Amino acid sequence: MRGYWWKFAGVLIFLYVLIGGMTIPTKAGIISVIPGNALSGESLNLMITGYNTHFTECTELRAWLKLDSVHVVKSKTIKKISERTAEFLFHIPSVFPGKDKVQPLTLIIDNEIDGVFVQPNAVFITVNDSIAPDSSDWLLGSLENLHEAKGTKFPFRNILNETIRNTFFHVALWFAMFVLLILGVYHAIQYLITREYDHDILSSSYHRIAIMYGIFGLITGSVWAKFTWNTFWTTDVKLNMTAVAMLIYLAYLVLRGSSSDYDRRAKISASYAIFAFLALIPLVFVIPRLTDSLHPGNGGNPALGGEDLDHTLRLFFYPSIIALILLGLWMSELLTRYERLKEKILLKNQ
Amino acid sequence: MKKFLSLTLIHILWIVPAKAQGDSLDFLRSTGKIYSVVAVIAVIFIGITIFLYRLDRKLTKLENQINNEQ
Repeated sequence: MRGYWWKFAGVLIFLYVLIGGMTIPTKAGIISVIPGNALSGESLNLMITGYNTHFTECTELRAWLKLDSVHVVKSKTIKKISERTAEFLFHIPSVFPGKDKVQPLTLIIDNEIDGVFVQPNAVFITVNDSIAPDSSDWLLGSLENLHEAKGTKFPFRNILNETIRNTFFHVALWFAMFVLLILGVYHAIQYLITREYDHDILSSSYHRIAIMYGIFGLITGSVWAKFTWNTFWTTDVKLNMTAVAMLIYLAYLVLRGSSSDYDRRAKISASYAIFAFLALIPLVFVIPRLTDSLHPGNGGNPALGGEDLDHTLRLFFYPSIIALILLGLWMSELLTRYERLKEKILLKNQ
Repeated sequence: MKKFLSLTLIHILWIVPAKAQGDSLDFLRSTGKIYSVVAVIAVIFIGITIFLYRLDRKLTKLENQINNEQ
């Protein structure tokens, strides 16, 4: 059993991520708001379909339409239809601040079970000038006594919905890949310094698993993109640059397979690995940050944080990275042992 | 160990969506794109299985090599 504990730890942590990451619900959110537009000065009956909401179970259901930090309308009556659907009646004020003909309102719903949740640009109001001005309908000031959602829940993000859980797998794969690549480069450098063949074996094993993780990362990212960006591949910089980086690394595998002279192969692939890693850093970390990207943390967006990675997600995200690193180390250890065995047999035969 | 591991994983991959479907109160997981998460986990699992298969084949080759020499 000794020497195996970290492998089992990897499996257990990954199981924890799988079970916890799949069973914890997301917070409440709004899926659809009908109708999506209205005239100013009208009574507006909004039919709202929620997600993970408890409209009938809760007692303090409230809703607002918000224009900006001071202009808010509160709903007059609320008709609960089911846990997930309800009708909210609003009196849209006839006077709107600002000159825009069409102004977007944000829908805010609050109850004591689901906490507060919002849908930006839920209703577009066409401002109608002909009606007599009456500004008394605006509820000026900020919203008070808003609730927090009960229990541990993942954040609800529009478009992302449940796929926010992919953070534990797709993103963690790339993090784990980087750790394995750093180990691979370390052993490549060690090989060039010491010229011990064992370092070449270690370096190639780490690289193989890291490349495998990279390919997993590309495929899982592609699946995720299909569900959120509605296409398997976009022209997003990060995608293309990562694909280039992966091609560079695939060339590493080809390079290793091309030469049968062990010494030369080890020398060439060790130096190639170092250059590939040096190319990877600008391709993945620098270029995507210079332009717009759909990935969070690029193109001027703040890095992963806020609602994209809140503390409940971190509870599974970091363990997932550790688990994937441990599993990767296990797999590369198997490869290493295989290569060592092969080398031993080869030396015996000579 | 390998068999146990794969069985556990298959178990999880099947149980979780099945349980979510039974929860008809909020059809949470079916519309919430939950199956993309299942697909992502399946990709990783299939990938690791392919890795294991290839390693298995390599080892068999090595074994045969040793056995032939003896």
